[in-house]
Order: sequence, then structure tokens, then C-alpha cells
Amino acid sequence: MDGDDRMNDPTRRRVLAGVGAAGAASLVRPAFAQAPHALQFGLAMPLTGGQATYGQDQVRAAKWGIDSINQAGGVAGRKLEAIVLDTQADPQVGIQDVNRLVSVNKVPVFVTAWSEVVKAVAPIANDSKTVELSVGANAPGIAKLGEYVYTTYPLADVDVTAIARYSATKLGKKRAAVLYINNETGIGGANVYRRAFTRAGGKVVAFQAYDPHATDWTGQILKVRLASPDIIYIEGLVADTPQLIAQLRQLGLTQTVSSYSAIYNPNLIKQLGPAAEGVIATSLAPGPSDNPAVKAYLERWMKEVGRAPNGLPYTQYLHDAPYLIAAVFKEMLAKKMPLTGEGFRTEMLAIGTFHLPLTGKLVISPDHTVQKPVYLMQVQNGTWKQIAVVS
Amino acid sequence: MFSPLILLQILWTSLATSSYLVLFTVAFALVLKVNRIFNFAQAATMTVAFYAAYTLVSRLGLPGWAGLLAALAAAVVLALPLELLGFRALRRRRASSIFVFIFTLIISELVAYIAMLVYGTWPATVFPSLFWPVRIVAGVAISEWDVPALGATVVAVSALFLFLRRTRIGQSMVAVADNPDLAEFYGIAKDRVYLVSMIVASLIAGLAMFLYGTRAQVEPTTALNLLLFAIAATIIGGIGNLGGAILTAVVLSLCENSSILFIPSAWQGFLLYAFLFVAIVFFPRGVRLPRRLRLSRSVPTPAFAPEEPREA
Repeated sequence: MDGDDRMNDPTRRRVLAGVGAAGAASLVRPAFAQAPHALQFGLAMPLTGGQATYGQDQVRAAKWGIDSINQAGGVAGRKLEAIVLDTQADPQVGIQDVNRLVSVNKVPVFVTAWSEVVKAVAPIANDSKTVELSVGANAPGIAKLGEYVYTTYPLADVDVTAIARYSATKLGKKRAAVLYINNETGIGGANVYRRAFTRAGGKVVAFQAYDPHATDWTGQILKVRLASPDIIYIEGLVADTPQLIAQLRQLGLTQTVSSYSAIYNPNLIKQLGPAAEGVIATSLAPGPSDNPAVKAYLERWMKEVGRAPNGLPYTQYLHDAPYLIAAVFKEMLAKKMPLTGEGFRTEMLAIGTFHLPLTGKLVISPDHTVQKPVYLMQVQNGTWKQIAVVS
Repeated sequence: MFSPLILLQILWTSLATSSYLVLFTVAFALVLKVNRIFNFAQAATMTVAFYAAYTLVSRLGLPGWAGLLAALAAAVVLALPLELLGFRALRRRRASSIFVFIFTLIISELVAYIAMLVYGTWPATVFPSLFWPVRIVAGVAISEWDVPALGATVVAVSALFLFLRRTRIGQSMVAVADNPDLAEFYGIAKDRVYLVSMIVASLIAGLAMFLYGTRAQVEPTTALNLLLFAIAATIIGGIGNLGGAILTAVVLSLCENSSILFIPSAWQGFLLYAFLFVAIVFFPRGVRLPRRLRLSRSVPTPAFAPEEPREA
């Protein structure tokens, strides 16, 4: 292979990205998708790279949503179609994808996720007047990215505020200790908790950061023990929070431990066993016991894929995104509006309230935030049980 | 404010946590000392070892000892082609140190990428449960993981030093580390020594990753982060000084954990880099122990590291 050949040789990443995108495209393009009048929207998600396990499941969920809409007759007789591109959860790749969606495919709306990608492509959405729907990213700054950027997923402050208030007012906790990972997620969430808990009448008696690569938290835990809190809140990630809880228990702290949606998964109970008892977490989507459609959705996963989806609540939101888009398209067609991003935004805000199959009522508000009920879950007798729904 | 009991607890937990950190450091320092390779591919070895143990124990339900054997075997299985097909070929082509370093970096990234494709990015542990029961001894919480982990580390490090001092191949490794050309002149087969060194280091890294994976969650990129600690300890301890690296790993672990009693917790992660900065700027030859306290002789610095005078 000479130098020129080497220059023209596709890189592994490009090949994998191509394979991933082609695979995903084949998932979402049924036979009728070639019809000239299909209604198209963009779906820019990570199909390769470190976040692919989540991205692929979310794309599969969106495909199921599209299939259901089309099987029910489509949108005013026209088929709904997603153009799927692989972002690799990388902002630079996301920019390339979205440039293609707005300039080549000329879609009026596209769906994307992962906070860094959502932020990176926002200027393109605003400049091209194409609606960007963020579905799953939760950085609080997403609400301020511009007039064409909207989220269908509640931002970080919603569930953290809910659990802080609930702890202070309903559980009667007055002294909270906060342990948080020292990155954007942890610092932001910990500050939201401290504000909300204090406003609800409580006092934060310990506020301890830990390094994202930490494997031992003895120092922080002993400082928490000295502060004698009656509840502990952890703003960490799925990789470190279970270990931190295990070490809390090992060092003799028996107080109620609470956290946000990152730890709401069955693995926590497997990993901690009896030490998981009493842990409280949040969920931003209804579970199988709240909505029969979610139960059927989970059963479909088990039947067709053989497992539950990675990040169940996120896939629920992705499944429902095509329903929102279909509802807006339907109104635009009924009003004979041109299928532009401007028109889509206007009509989406005019409709305002959407009733979606797996995530329930969604109100798109002009301030670009979303308010949803927060489901508080607690480990009781080895399973997650819902203890409250906070509006 | 801080009782002796708190200090004792921190001391004990830091010591227990340092068990796998010491082993990561020893494995890294050994290859650097003998093979003169800044072996970032150790992260790949660690990743492969962990997922081998995870597959057998967590997925297939086999007992822990089977997982340990799988981790050790997988580490060696990766070490063989790495040395025989990779490093040996690069040595024959007289590849520069920086080129070899880049090669190891690529291997570590490649293995992390494959692990992501095969196992996904969800954190995993060797045993389904992360929780180890605790016993309180004189007011200090000692988990059932702590003592076996420390015991395994002491045994492994002692075995390594005995191996290096009492066996012919071990003495050959020390000789090659001191002066590879002179060692070859005296009839020592360098290639064989390099291979044995890689295998020994991989066994140590495999054991360390098994210990880590029984206590903490692992993702495909976890090993890369852990390796950073080993590199820092090796540099601070003095490149080529195995004993110094071990001691540094323990002291760093203790400093990191106890630092929170004296500085704001948000600064804790900064400490490792601060130590590294100070060591490189002010102690480029490492923080040296008095000669009588060293556990092994120092060796000439690898070609890519800052030059330092050889010791007589």
C-alpha cells in the first residue's frame, strides 16, 4: 500500500460509524420509506463509541415508535421516516451530522441527545431555523441554548429539587450531608440540592466533593460521620455511587441514603444486597406499575431483544419523540403550512401539551424547560418500590 | 476534631486500598526497569484480565478462584503476542522509544474499544455484590476484603523479590536491567529475559485487577485511569527503583485519603498531579531513600526519560 492508498484508506472509526449508521438506518426504514412524500426528521445519536450501548437502544426505541405510528396509518396518510446519523456522542461528529441534516436533507426538526452534543449543534439549529429536540440530555444550560432548541426531558434541577424537598418536608429530615463527584454533573446537582434542602427548612451539615477517579472515600465518609446528618444525598455517577454506598455502610453509617435517577436500576440491588435497603432514588419516567404501556414495552424488549433496555427511562423518551413530531406534522399538514423549522416550532408551541404513550403528559413551555412528575423509588425488601410521585 | 480512631481508620483503609495500587505500580515499574518500555499496554492487560474474571464469575457463575485463574491466564495470553509479535519486532527494527510508547498506547486504546463493543459501557464487578461484610476491631472497621487483599499483595511482592534475587532467570532480569549489552556479553538471552519480565508483570497486573474488580466497578476505560496512579508512583519513587515505587504507592494512597482532613475535598484529586509536578521539577531522579533502605539497585534511565548519571 503506497502513501496515497494509505491516505485514501477509510479509518476504522469511519468504517464502524458507517456500519453502525447503515445498520441503524436499516432498522428505521421500512419498505415504504422510499415513498416520495415521507415526512422526515433527523435522529442524531451515538451508534458507535463508548455510549453506543445506550444510543443503539434509544434508536431501537425510536424505531418502535415510528413503526407504531406508521402501522396506525402514518401522519395524515403519509409515512414518518427518521434519518439516523451516528454522533458517537462526540460534539464534532454531531456538528457534521446536523450540518448534513439541515443542508442536505433539509429536515425541519431533528432529535439528539448527550449534553455536549446538544450544546455543540445548537448554533446550527438556531442559524438554520431548524428545531432541535433534546431527548435525554439534562444539563441545566440546555434551556438557554436558543429559540430553536427544546427539550422533552426534564433538566437536572427537576428531580434533585424534588428529592431535596421531599426529604425535608415529608421525611422530616433536618440535617443533610451531600457527597458529590467533582465534575459538572456533580457540582451542579449538589448545589441544586443544597439550595432546595435549605429552602425547605433543612440544613446541609456536610458538603464533600470526591475525585471522579476515586476508589476510596474513607476521608469524606468520616467527615460526614462527624457532622451527624440524618440523611445523606449522593450526586455521583453509576460507576461510583454503588461503591460509595457500600463503603458508607461498611464504615457504620446507617442513615437514609438518597440520590437521583443515575442509580435507579436493578444492578444497585444486586451489587449492594442488604446494604441497598432504604436507598431512595428518582425516576423521570413512569414505570411498569404506573403505566400498562410501559409494562408491554418492557415485555417487548424481553421478547425481541432478550433483555431490558440500557437506561430504560431514556429509551421511553426516545420512543415517544416520534409521537410528538407526528402530532406537530399532522397539524401543519391540516393547516397546509410549509414543512419548515419555523413552522414546526410555531405549531409545536401552539399545541403545547402532548400526551405520549410511555412518558405521559408533556408540556413544551416557552421557557424551554419541561416539568414532569418525579417518581421517588426506594429499595424495600430487595426491590425498587415507588414511595411517592412529586409533581 | 479528629480523633485517633479516625486517623487509624484512614490509615487502615488507605493501606488496604493501596494493595492493588502497589501491584499496578510494581508491574509497571518492572517492565520499565527490565524491558525499558513505558508500557501503557498494561492497561490492556488489566482490562483483559478483569473481563476474563468477570465472564467466568459474574456471567457463568463459576467460583472466585476460577476467576482469579482466568484473570492471570488472560493477562499472560495477552503478554505473549505483545512481546513476541510487538515489542520484539520493534526492537529488531530499532524502533525509537517514543514509537514503542505510541504502540503501547494504541494497544491499550484498541483493547478498551473492543471491550466496549463486547461488554458495553455499563460498569461491572467480578462478583455480583460489591458489599463486603465488616468486622470492628478496636474501633476500626475492617472489611472481609481488606485482609486477603493485603495478604495477596504481600505474598506477590515477596515472591517477586525472591524471584529476582534467588532464581537464575530473576538474576538475569536484574542484570539486563542494569546493562543489557553487558548481560548479553555474559551469555544472557535478552529476548528470553524480556519475555519472562512481561509475563511476570502481567501476572502481577492480572492479580491486581482481580483484586480491584472484586471491590470496585470497572468500565472498559477504568484501567487507563488506574495506570496513571502507577505511572505517578513510579516516577516519584524513582524510575527503575522498584522498592521506591512500592513505598510511593502506599504513601500516595495514604496522602490522598488523609488529605481531606486538612484541605477542601474538591482539591483532593489535584494532589496526585501536584505530587507529580513537584517530583518531575524538583526530584527528576525520584525521591531517593538512603541507599541502605533501598530494596533494589537503581538502573540507568530509559532512553526516552530525562538523562541521569549512572550509579557506580
